[in-house]
Amino acid sequence: MEKLNDLQYLRLSKWKKFLYKLCMFFVGIPVFFKNIGIKIGRFFKNIVLRIKDLFVDLFLTFKNGDYKTRVSYLIFGFGNITRGQVFRGLFFFLFEVLFIFYMIFWGGGWLSKLGTLGTQGPTTEWVDVGGIDVEKTVYHDDSFKILLYGILTIFFIIAFIYTWRINIKQNKIAQEILATGKKLKSGKDDIHSLIDDQFHKTLLALPITGIIIFTVLPIFFMIIIAFTNYDKTHNGISNNLFSWVGFENFNQLVNVGSSSNFSATFGEILGWTLMWAFFATFTNYFLGMLVAIMINKKGIKMKKVWRTILVLTIAIPQFVSLLYVSKLFATDGIVNGILIKLKWIEQPIRFWEDKWLARLMVILINIWIGIPYLMLIATGILMNIPQDLYESARIDGANAWQQYMKITLPYMLFVTGPYLLTSFIGNINNFNVIYLLTTGGPNNPNSSTAGGSAGYTDLLITWLFKITTNDSNYKIAAVIGIMVFVVVAVISLIVYNIMPSTKNEEDFS
Amino acid sequence: MKKRILSLFIALFVAVVLVGCASKTTTEAQLDLTGTYKVKVWVADAITALTQTQIDAFNASEEATSRGIKVEATIEAVGEGDAASKMTSDVINGADIFGFAQDQLARLVEAKGVSQLGNAAAKFVNDNNDGGAAAAATLGGQLYAYPMTSDNGYFMYYDKSVITDATHLTSLEQLIADCEAASKMFSFELEGSGWYNAAFFFGAGCVSSFTFEKNGAIATVNDTYNSDKGVIAMKGMQKLLTSTCYNNSSNAAASFDASVGSAIVVSGTWDSNAAQSALGDNFGVAPLPSFTVDGKTYHLGSFTGNKLMGVRPQQDPKKAAVLNLLAQYLTGQTCQEQRYKENGWGPSNLEAQKLPEIANDPVLSAFNAQNEYGVPQGQYPGQWWDLTKVLATSAKNAKSDADIQTALQSYRSTLDSLVGVVPPSWDNGPWGVIGKFGEYNWNEDVLMTKKESTEGFVFESAPIEFAEGDQFKCRLGENWDSSVGNGKDNFVVETAGKYIVRLTVTDANAKTATITLVPVE
Repeated sequence: MEKLNDLQYLRLSKWKKFLYKLCMFFVGIPVFFKNIGIKIGRFFKNIVLRIKDLFVDLFLTFKNGDYKTRVSYLIFGFGNITRGQVFRGLFFFLFEVLFIFYMIFWGGGWLSKLGTLGTQGPTTEWVDVGGIDVEKTVYHDDSFKILLYGILTIFFIIAFIYTWRINIKQNKIAQEILATGKKLKSGKDDIHSLIDDQFHKTLLALPITGIIIFTVLPIFFMIIIAFTNYDKTHNGISNNLFSWVGFENFNQLVNVGSSSNFSATFGEILGWTLMWAFFATFTNYFLGMLVAIMINKKGIKMKKVWRTILVLTIAIPQFVSLLYVSKLFATDGIVNGILIKLKWIEQPIRFWEDKWLARLMVILINIWIGIPYLMLIATGILMNIPQDLYESARIDGANAWQQYMKITLPYMLFVTGPYLLTSFIGNINNFNVIYLLTTGGPNNPNSSTAGGSAGYTDLLITWLFKITTNDSNYKIAAVIGIMVFVVVAVISLIVYNIMPSTKNEEDFS
Repeated sequence: MKKRILSLFIALFVAVVLVGCASKTTTEAQLDLTGTYKVKVWVADAITALTQTQIDAFNASEEATSRGIKVEATIEAVGEGDAASKMTSDVINGADIFGFAQDQLARLVEAKGVSQLGNAAAKFVNDNNDGGAAAAATLGGQLYAYPMTSDNGYFMYYDKSVITDATHLTSLEQLIADCEAASKMFSFELEGSGWYNAAFFFGAGCVSSFTFEKNGAIATVNDTYNSDKGVIAMKGMQKLLTSTCYNNSSNAAASFDASVGSAIVVSGTWDSNAAQSALGDNFGVAPLPSFTVDGKTYHLGSFTGNKLMGVRPQQDPKKAAVLNLLAQYLTGQTCQEQRYKENGWGPSNLEAQKLPEIANDPVLSAFNAQNEYGVPQGQYPGQWWDLTKVLATSAKNAKSDADIQTALQSYRSTLDSLVGVVPPSWDNGPWGVIGKFGEYNWNEDVLMTKKESTEGFVFESAPIEFAEGDQFKCRLGENWDSSVGNGKDNFVVETAGKYIVRLTVTDANAKTATITLVPVE
């Protein structure tokens, strides 16, 4: 298949143009993968090169260094202290001492147990106390603590190596500065620079420490749990210790033939999760926009009243309104009661007991609580669209629909593209609406064995919640958590890359 | 300053570790229990205040004062249904004493969240409580908890203004008709819990019971849900499930007062106050009715069980002893009677049961009447409740008997995989010989054993005496779905003699096998 130039392409008939495009698409696939391959290759090559550079640099620094530099390879800060930078040197030295102290007394112990996550479970014995024989329990290893402190120790070791590297780099720099005859910074200068040219470090120190402790470490910990058998029968201290199992949990989740039907349940729930996220996002988006357009229309009276009425749903906490609506539509709830009293129906409608009706209901109720947010956003943007665009469109004879499709919608999509993406991701993890309305029900007889007794409206996130709280099956929950991340990451990356908002910044400015 | 805090933490940590190692003592008698003990207690919301008074009474009792024991209790409201999941999620920080429903015992033992009772405590339990209650607290032959009540079970609360004819109370069909006619609901939490829908299965004569190892693992299972009786049960259940009056609830207070109010709520003693205040003069209580399938009538069964009180495993034996004394006090006669008077909880204590007001209580009478059809609730693995729960949903959706059978078969196979039973397969067996020979007449399988062989999968029977003209077939898993003979016909023995029946499965996937007779000298 040869690539045609523009003139040749334009000469083709409509049908042939389509065929040509199709062919080009398939021709493009191998190229696409080739490009990805090249990119990955380049990435790893870069890493290897950088590591090589690092070692070369370490070697050269040692070779070209004086005795102060060389001793600093073993004793942190030696070079700094002997060159007069006592403050800095002591800082390095203290860190080394602290590290060695920690490793000898605790870190070494945690690290040595990390391979097995503990060997001795709890023991019990019978003790006679004042004529009453009681069972006395002694807890020994605690897999959970071993894992947590083991990981912390590894983090500490990484920090240690990094500090060592900085320490050596400092020697190299100091040597170079001294060689040119300049003076080194004193401790006072260092402190001064922290509120001057190094001010960003001072500002970021706290947030970064916080992120590492409260975000990075837990995420890392959760990922690690997916490779252990941490569950109710191996709770790590009071019954059995848990241990490493490799990829067994992932296997359980993707292996179709395995006895527990995690894979089938996962597939079904993932399907519904995506379906839900799609409908929940786009129904809200378009209906919210529609409401905003209607209220914005010239000639509509009492605009503020309409907006206030809609915004009232935001004022009531979702927690309350959702639980209330759930009861409202119960089989013996008020809605059925009123409908029966009005003789519109003879028997109660079972809103929450049918697979598709329940799914429809959660989407509809989500529209009710979601539209006001969209209306608020859309109102602002709609008012911002230049009115002359519409005027000239009207002069050209465009009808309302054409105006909407050619002006309003592209403008909205351009501005709210990132919002649309985040709300799609948010809906994938929309725990509140599902759990408070249906708690995942109605029951799904096909996925009863998978733990957590998943139902037809369960999302991955509510299923994960059930698995951890009802079944204490932390290992599978960790795997599901990783899977949710993968799904979200893939969707985000693809959509983000094709979104107009991130490409043509000039389009609507 | 920061470093000082850090070193303080480090020192504290070292101390904890050292203490943990040093407290490893051998069995010895420590007679002195004097001291103040901080105790965390989980009981149902309804009895938190009562429990506080009871603990105060314990502190003032002879038992405590003579030993110098003082208990400082923190009481938290944790329902008997939630205690196990809360405890198993973090045993170390769980309550020292906690009330729980007996169905959670296996989970608790598995997580080591409840400590075993000693001989003295076991004697107390056996001497003072009814046999069913003591059995409920037993797992793998060991006692683990103190019975608090013998009233866990379900029966019917009904509205006398709707169910006017008392003779209807014995028939599920008539009750459904009454409810439909009055546009009232019949609340029975069949889809919410395997605990409730077991009523139909037990009523039809199914059994499902498990035995456990001492560590809480499943040892054996005896389950006949997947049978003709199971089909009858699901068909009976279907009558209510597909009725317009069915409501999946067991909350008496909410259901009687709901917009589409219920005329009948199947619930237990815990709802008696709520039901009485909701219905007032129309309050009625009765055992469950019977249902009719294919002309035969079956009385609905039920679970009967107990609420138990457990003691968390303790590192300090003195505290363990005090907790045992406290638990014995709280589950003793006085406290059980107090709980009956305040909350209507039926006692498990033998003396308390003899009290005239308790013996004549209408709600407890209905409970006891239903108990004649009740099955003492043994221990079930946690997943069993999830598995049986969806059987009701399957029954509701079933369009034919075949659908019901499929649901029951899938229940059975998942149950097997849960217990670790491998389903029958051509290459693994179990194969059996069935036919007319010797004392057998197509009534029983003679099991074959798998032999090591290079030719395929070979199964052999024990030597069998055959007469001329005897006929037999080999079948898989005592089921006619997979069987082998002489082609499709029976294998016919041509010469009388003593033979080993050898089955060679040549291709397990294509399901081909041949039978040969190996003469035995």
